[in-house]
Amino acid sequence: MLDVGRHPNINLMAYSEVENVEGTVGCFKVRVRKKARYVDEAKCTGCGACTEKCPTNVPDLYNEGHSERKAVYSWFAQGIPSTHAIDTDHCRVFQGKKCGICQKQCEADAIDFEQQDTIVELDIGAVVVANGYTVFDPGKIHEYRYNALPNVVTAMEFERFLSASGPTHGHIDRPSDTAVRRRIAELEKQEARAVKGLARLEDKHGEKSEEFYKKYSSGRLEDSDGLKQWAEKYESYLPIKEELTTLKRKAENFTTAKKLAFIQCVGSRDLRFYPFCSGFCCMHSIKEAVIAHEHDNATTSVIFGMDIRAVGKGFDEYKVRGSNNSNITYRRSRVAEIVKGSNDNPTVVYEDTRTQQVVREEFDMVILATASAPADGVAELGELLGIERNRFGFFKTTPTNPLDTTKEGIFVCGCSHSPMDIPESVAQASSAASRAVQAVLLTPEKLLKVS
Amino acid sequence: MLVIGGGIAGIQSSLDLAEMGFKVHLVERLPSIGGKMTQLDKTFPTNDCAI
Repeated sequence: MLDVGRHPNINLMAYSEVENVEGTVGCFKVRVRKKARYVDEAKCTGCGACTEKCPTNVPDLYNEGHSERKAVYSWFAQGIPSTHAIDTDHCRVFQGKKCGICQKQCEADAIDFEQQDTIVELDIGAVVVANGYTVFDPGKIHEYRYNALPNVVTAMEFERFLSASGPTHGHIDRPSDTAVRRRIAELEKQEARAVKGLARLEDKHGEKSEEFYKKYSSGRLEDSDGLKQWAEKYESYLPIKEELTTLKRKAENFTTAKKLAFIQCVGSRDLRFYPFCSGFCCMHSIKEAVIAHEHDNATTSVIFGMDIRAVGKGFDEYKVRGSNNSNITYRRSRVAEIVKGSNDNPTVVYEDTRTQQVVREEFDMVILATASAPADGVAELGELLGIERNRFGFFKTTPTNPLDTTKEGIFVCGCSHSPMDIPESVAQASSAASRAVQAVLLTPEKLLKVS
Repeated sequence: MLVIGGGIAGIQSSLDLAEMGFKVHLVERLPSIGGKMTQLDKTFPTNDCAI
């Protein structure tokens, strides 16, 4: 990543989109829109002073919405380029409110609310398309209740939980528990505010609120505006205190998730959604179970799948190692349903195909190995480039020329070709680069217009 | 040369092309390159760090 930012031959255009492509191999004319970041790339040092003081919190999509970032942000900490950007959908200034704190904080004077999109025209010899994939939305499979049960998460969300820089700092806290903790923090703030308000009144009247309220509610005191206000304040404080006590008692028993279920083929190998195999999810689930066990040796995992497809060098050994050393059980079955169990635990209903029994089993957390679907905006990109897509939505290639799209001079690699794992993506990327070079070198010189 | 997408595949392609002496324009939709791989904690089968 760092090499890309540094390489003299690479012009990195992040936060940009291709708008128009014309021409043929050797002389494509491409128009790229560099979207306004509202932060000057030449001035921003990536120090993060703006982010620190920004008052607007926004769900962080990099952490799959499990944490919050600010309206002025960098996509992730080690991001290249490190230039920050302003999220115009949330920034107070762009919502017509008064703010501009980031502008005051920025020592490099990089914040520029007047910045405009810029259009760049490029002469291009060949194009490599590597727009990747999108994680399938498991909410479409209603029987898995992804949207209703907080402790049913996708593999990508779980990946963020495992990460030391993720929303839970590498501890596998269940999302339902995190929500309770967040609510406690919120209530504590409210309580502190209420107590402060009450303390002022207590000082004024020289009496404890509790004692006053007892007298007031029994009608022993004369009604006056001041006393009524005090009583109302106390009444609004009571439910906060009560909820806080209940939640705190609940939170005492919270532990990290120890019993995990991984469900394979969520959206893939499913005729309702994507009939193809996504290729890497079996290994991805095994890896997540192994890492979860590494973090906490008490963790046990069950992987539910039709079969485990460990195709690759050293993959099958990894799978066996997982079951021998990392408390992983592989269960051949297709999960029928996930329902709500006790204590926010999801209950998995499945048929064990070996014993032919329908089983209900409760887990702390369920992780869905979601299909890799064609990337968002792939249809528009295909149209723009004038290349066809196959019936699944990925770019069309032929088995004899797996990197060539239907238009000469445009090549495809990685998950925009079909779902594949990282080593395969890297290998294909190198091949696509070579194919692109071939295409340019074979173009007659009079046509060639490459800068 | 134009590379669309700054994930692991786009990065590898860009670096290869740049090493071969071509001028590469790498276009990424998000504010930073890296793609899905940066979201991964470790990668199989060696449990190496992803970033």
